[in-house]
Amino acid sequence: MVEHRIPENLNEALKLLYHGDYQVMAGGTDLMVQRRSLSDTPLDFPKNMVYCAHLQELRGIRKEAHRVEIGAMTPLEDLLCHPDVPSLVRRAIGEMASPAIRHVATLGGNIANASPAGDTLPVLYLLDAWAELRSLAGSRMILIRDLITGPRALKIHPEEMLTKIGIPEMHFSHETFVKVGGRQADAISKVSLAAAADIVEGKVSDLRIAFGAVAPTVVRDETLEGAWEGATLSELKVGVWRLLDMYVPLIRPIDDQRSGKHYRHQVALNLLRDFIESLSEPTSEPGR
Amino acid sequence: MRDISTSVPKTDHWEKTAGTAKYVADLAPEGALHALTFRSPIPHGEIRSLVLPDLPEGYASVDARDIPGKNGVHIIQDDMPVFAERTLRYVGEPILLLVGPDKTVLKRLLSAIRLETVPLEPVFDDRRADVWHHYVKGDPDQAFARAKRIIEYEYQTGLQEQAYLEPQGMIAIPEGDKMTLIGSIQCPYYVKNAVVPVLGCTSDKVRVIQPPVGGAFGGKEEFPSLIACQAAVAARKTKRPVRLIYERPEDIEVTTKRHPARIRLRAAIGEGNVVEAIASDIRLDGGAYLGLSNVVLSRSMIATTGAYTVPNVSCSGEVYVTNTVPTGAFRGFGAPQIFFAVEMFFQHLAKDLGEDPLAFKLRHLAKQGDLTATSGTFRDPILVPKMVKRALEMSDYQNKTRRYSGESPYRGLGLSLFFHGCGFTGSGEATIIKAEVQLRKNADDTVDVLIAAVDMGQGAKTTLAKIVAHTLDLPLDRVRFPYPDTDVVPDSGPTVASRTVMIVGGLLEKAAQKLKARWVSGVAVQLTERYQPPEWIKWDEKAFRGDAYPAYSWGVDVVEVSVDPRTYQVKIEGTWSVYDVGKGIDERILEGQADGGMTQGLAYGYMENMEIKQGVLRQRNLTDYIIPTACDCGPYAVEWVENPFVYGPMGAKGAGELTLIGAAPAVAAAIENAIGRRIRKIPATPESLLELIEYGKR
Repeated sequence: MVEHRIPENLNEALKLLYHGDYQVMAGGTDLMVQRRSLSDTPLDFPKNMVYCAHLQELRGIRKEAHRVEIGAMTPLEDLLCHPDVPSLVRRAIGEMASPAIRHVATLGGNIANASPAGDTLPVLYLLDAWAELRSLAGSRMILIRDLITGPRALKIHPEEMLTKIGIPEMHFSHETFVKVGGRQADAISKVSLAAAADIVEGKVSDLRIAFGAVAPTVVRDETLEGAWEGATLSELKVGVWRLLDMYVPLIRPIDDQRSGKHYRHQVALNLLRDFIESLSEPTSEPGR
Repeated sequence: MRDISTSVPKTDHWEKTAGTAKYVADLAPEGALHALTFRSPIPHGEIRSLVLPDLPEGYASVDARDIPGKNGVHIIQDDMPVFAERTLRYVGEPILLLVGPDKTVLKRLLSAIRLETVPLEPVFDDRRADVWHHYVKGDPDQAFARAKRIIEYEYQTGLQEQAYLEPQGMIAIPEGDKMTLIGSIQCPYYVKNAVVPVLGCTSDKVRVIQPPVGGAFGGKEEFPSLIACQAAVAARKTKRPVRLIYERPEDIEVTTKRHPARIRLRAAIGEGNVVEAIASDIRLDGGAYLGLSNVVLSRSMIATTGAYTVPNVSCSGEVYVTNTVPTGAFRGFGAPQIFFAVEMFFQHLAKDLGEDPLAFKLRHLAKQGDLTATSGTFRDPILVPKMVKRALEMSDYQNKTRRYSGESPYRGLGLSLFFHGCGFTGSGEATIIKAEVQLRKNADDTVDVLIAAVDMGQGAKTTLAKIVAHTLDLPLDRVRFPYPDTDVVPDSGPTVASRTVMIVGGLLEKAAQKLKARWVSGVAVQLTERYQPPEWIKWDEKAFRGDAYPAYSWGVDVVEVSVDPRTYQVKIEGTWSVYDVGKGIDERILEGQADGGMTQGLAYGYMENMEIKQGVLRQRNLTDYIIPTACDCGPYAVEWVENPFVYGPMGAKGAGELTLIGAAPAVAAAIENAIGRRIRKIPATPESLLELIEYGKR
């Protein structure tokens, strides 16, 4: 028999993790489906469960100097309308699931589930977001792109819990998030793109590109991005084919029941090309 | 008197919106056992050995050896066994049931069954034809010999899942030598007539009750007969009620779906670009067992020239058997496949001949008095030209078409013309169904409608009661239509084939007229009305010749799409439909049929994708099998023209299937016009559009 525990506070939850073998459940919108069982029978969990979505210490959005901090158990719907949450994150969440699911699903859950098609991941990679992992022994920070090592695989110790997400403040003149699913809403991504650029005085001062669902983990390559730094906007636009070519070997999608390799590959490149072609000299630079 | 078309609240509206309606899964008779099904893991093979784990007290296995009667499910062909005996013909074929009080224990026991099989070569293509028909109209050989030009294309359609809200479920309750079945079904008497020979009992020993049904779309026409037989055998063996309730993944994996089709059409083009002849070859994938595939094929074949009059026809059709999940009834029943093919074919013929597709279609459109493809006669007025005119106005078709006519504008309109033959195909109503309805007037001057028609969400409970109340000039609340129970109601036939309002409603109208003539307040009386085919209907089943249907409903759809040039995703920008269903019995219910049929039909054309790889379904749940949500529906505009049918109640014809049929060809034509590439295969998914854009014919 597996044990199901509902701790009263974070400390109690961390104690359980420290002393026993537990799986943390956040909103449960992935786990409940993955461990689905026949109706009216217990879910098919292989290990002890600790339920944490209700822990107030892990919920909430806080604006700090140069960053926003988000409790791991904050429901996606809360982030969707919050002015301190970066617009790219909100844009990704707006494309995710359905309102009902977004009220239950959490940002921490989307990260810890580590699906190659997780919709907040490309954006979090792009924004250099980090996670706070806490245990009874203390806490450490790790970049989300270093935390996730593969599909459903995290560099996290069994006694640690993902407690907080930090997102550095950034400014872009252009940004986009495009999700391609099987329908307009409530679908798992076939491919997605998060991209952002800051064009200052006709030059690329920052270019960031992250693809979802085209490889075991989100594809982001800072070396490739850095190669365009300082280039003029027209150099970037003229060089769009060279840029796309650089990404060709990194986009390694699979054939599955939702889509095909060739489609995912082509669409990923189309989306990037469209983003680059849409870049223009910002007319004014408010707030700089 | 109020016009019957004026909407009333649905009579079952409250119980469904309040959540008090008890569906089959909500019922748990005292002492009921759960049943789980053990299934074939391979597409084709023989059972070498099967070893069960030790079953605890109170648990039992039920297989073919427990069947007191015949191991075959009576559908039309009885080729499907209740339980596989030695040969396994598809992945998921039922071998045995495990029954017992605890589902968790059953699940554990199920995974402990050891099955050894000897695999046989599976067949997934069309090499094993099992049904073949052919018919001719006029002299097609001569027409082809004389043709100015011959044009031929092949069209393909895919699987489609009904995706009703409520999965399949059946409960069998044994009481002495009587067996009662309660299930999510469309056809109470189909279930009864299937269970009787399996139990080997007399007809009076089987009773079938229909609780509220949460959607069916044809999926609960013949499949419930299989699980009813299984549950009945299990209940007979254990002497306990048995609940066989499916959940979504199992339901998707093993229940019937729409027949995939390969349709080859060849046209002889004569002087003035007139289609002088069509030769067609229609192949439907029946899956592992025929069931009612033969009848699905008939409906496809009968509509092989679509809404058009073609003087010479040679049509052959076949159902081929594959080692895949059986296909079966699905809203439209063979018509969506053939109308997709014919509508695209006429568009492609026009393009090849350098003509405007709409003008080309209108020139060939059937007129009142013309011969049908099977040499019957379109007896009633055909209002399609007027309907087309209206659809063009509503959609601003001409202006938009001109505007989007540039090179690959990624926006386009498509138009389809179509009909649906109402009621059973051929002489089925007279020779197979022989429908019977009863009205019972009680002493308190209320009236009970005693029929076996099922309300599966389409509103039959309301529309049929409304027809009776209207005819008797009674308030609707004085007419009751209780849930069918075969011990109480006569066999008014299955709830299929857009026959319910037209045929059953027509009988009820006649019965109500007779009752009205005999009405004495305070006196109870019961009367029966039986189906008589109109005397003009002549149908030769063997030759496929004559009037295939007593009446036809007609439709015109215009669909506008945009296609995202980066992702090839299709967005429905709007649809405009005009339908002729004779006379509407309830406007709001009709709107429901129109919106639902359009959504399901559009999705069939561009979204819903189901593939089988080596006999295994790739999309096994509603996460992977994508059906539209409200966000995918464009604005739908719908209008109705009145064209009363003399034999329908108040002039009504069929409406339930019609609204699905034209959507796929219209959306495919719209996409074709948007991307400038020919579409000959649905669903036109973004993946397939990418391929077309790379390699397709312009």
